[in-house]
Amino acid sequence: MSAEIEKYQGNLQYAVDIVMCIDATGSMHPVLDIVKNSSLQFHQRLDEVMARKSKEISQLRLKVIAFRDFGDDPSDAIEQTDFLRLPQQVAEFEKFVRGLRATGGGDIPESGLEALALAINSPWETGLDRRRHVIVMFTDAPAHPLGTVGASAQTYPRDIPRSMDDLFEQWGYARSQTAVMEQSAKRLVLFAPEEEPWKEAIGEEWDLTLHFPSRAGEGLEEFEMDEIIETIANSL
Amino acid sequence: MKRGDVIGGYRVVTDPTNADGGKCVWAFAEKDGREYFLKRFLEPKRPREGGGGSAASRRIRLETCREFEERHRDIIRRLRPDASGAGNLVLATDFFHAGSTYYKVTERIDTASLEQPHSLGPKQRAVLLRTLATSLRLLHDIEVVHGDLKPANVLVQQREGAAFHTAKLIDFDDSYLSGQPPAREDIAGDSLYGAPEWRRYVQGDESVGSERLTTAVDVFALGLMTHVYLTGALPAYDSRFGSPADAVNAAAPLTVDDRLATSTQALITAMTSADPADDQPARSSRVRINLGHRRDGLSRNRSTP
Repeated sequence: MSAEIEKYQGNLQYAVDIVMCIDATGSMHPVLDIVKNSSLQFHQRLDEVMARKSKEISQLRLKVIAFRDFGDDPSDAIEQTDFLRLPQQVAEFEKFVRGLRATGGGDIPESGLEALALAINSPWETGLDRRRHVIVMFTDAPAHPLGTVGASAQTYPRDIPRSMDDLFEQWGYARSQTAVMEQSAKRLVLFAPEEEPWKEAIGEEWDLTLHFPSRAGEGLEEFEMDEIIETIANSL
Repeated sequence: MKRGDVIGGYRVVTDPTNADGGKCVWAFAEKDGREYFLKRFLEPKRPREGGGGSAASRRIRLETCREFEERHRDIIRRLRPDASGAGNLVLATDFFHAGSTYYKVTERIDTASLEQPHSLGPKQRAVLLRTLATSLRLLHDIEVVHGDLKPANVLVQQREGAAFHTAKLIDFDDSYLSGQPPAREDIAGDSLYGAPEWRRYVQGDESVGSERLTTAVDVFALGLMTHVYLTGALPAYDSRFGSPADAVNAAAPLTVDDRLATSTQALITAMTSADPADDQPARSSRVRINLGHRRDGLSRNRSTP
């Protein structure tokens, strides 16, 4: 049968949404290009792995949240895209990612939790038969507590939790009444240092979370993108 | 978990990875001079003293953990490593939590697996399929559904000095009692090897209740794997369909390789038939494997696929 023949409507349909939270502060300078290149290759590599497994994703959407530090410069502490459908909106995705520059950040902790909170509250796909909702965090730094540093700035996100407890409840757990993400769909992949809140408060306490420790100035190596692809491909 | 950590007495000796794992991270580990495979579950998480969340959320999470432990301990009780015929099942030797995280331990096994079992000789393939069918039958005799049967969960190996390759069945973490699967949104399974009734259950088809998810789900996957092990490919189906089960659900035929012996073709056709509850008695709820007159499943007069 030729590929032009319309797909059978009763096929099981999989939707994959991915939000990449990328630390774009100055200390990420040595590795940001690697993160960017990996992000740009991500779609193709996922396609290759899925094809090798004779599997198919019906709908793939990517969203990028670049973050710096509200305590340093609130005007560029968050830059983000909407969810972009790939391959249809690949040009928009590439333009945003290529435009990211590692700059600023001020003190060592950054506004990674604000980025994570925004990611959790993303407009996730609710249709099709099965869904995977994956948040990936790339950072080399600990994070400021939510609702503290820069929280009075006009650009600070209004509708995110103001404490770790509240963020935990939004992430949720099986039978949670407060979760904003679908329990069976969600995954959090952290490429973050063994510092708080990544190591214990999130890496140990939150379910469906994988933590791969990173160190300042050291990068996202080739295999780490594979860890994200495995997270998706093995659960479909 | 990282290399060098000691968790529950097991020292992690390799970098943890999620390769081939959907909801876990794993590494090799050592304890008392022996080597093990250590799996860290991503859920559920046990609430810790002083950890986050309200009292109400703690209660809910503790209840989830209690049920999780009960399910795993029940499967471990039913699947004893010393049971007759259990030699090719890779079973848990330990199950515990450390901090908020659950872990499961099995003997360290060589994870290498022969990638093209169909390249083996006829007798080798026959032995391979029999060891796989025997392992599955052992599960089904105690009413346990593997739940995620696929080539990645079967290690095709030849022990040093052994004459034949055998199939080691791994990963029982998604197993459930026949007719009592997890909820529709939670049930695991593979989109390629899933059975027709599994797909309808996942898709929310009200006519497919939990009682329809039985050991026959594994039989469908075994039928597909038998075809793969004998020919190197799945049975053919129209490219409009995303999987063999999608085709079967649409009453479209799966085409079994006609180079296989007639009896083997009939067997695979029966094993991959529609939902047995749809008045299709051909797909037995128990593994019955018969590889035909030649024992290898291949026809006498045709070239080997």
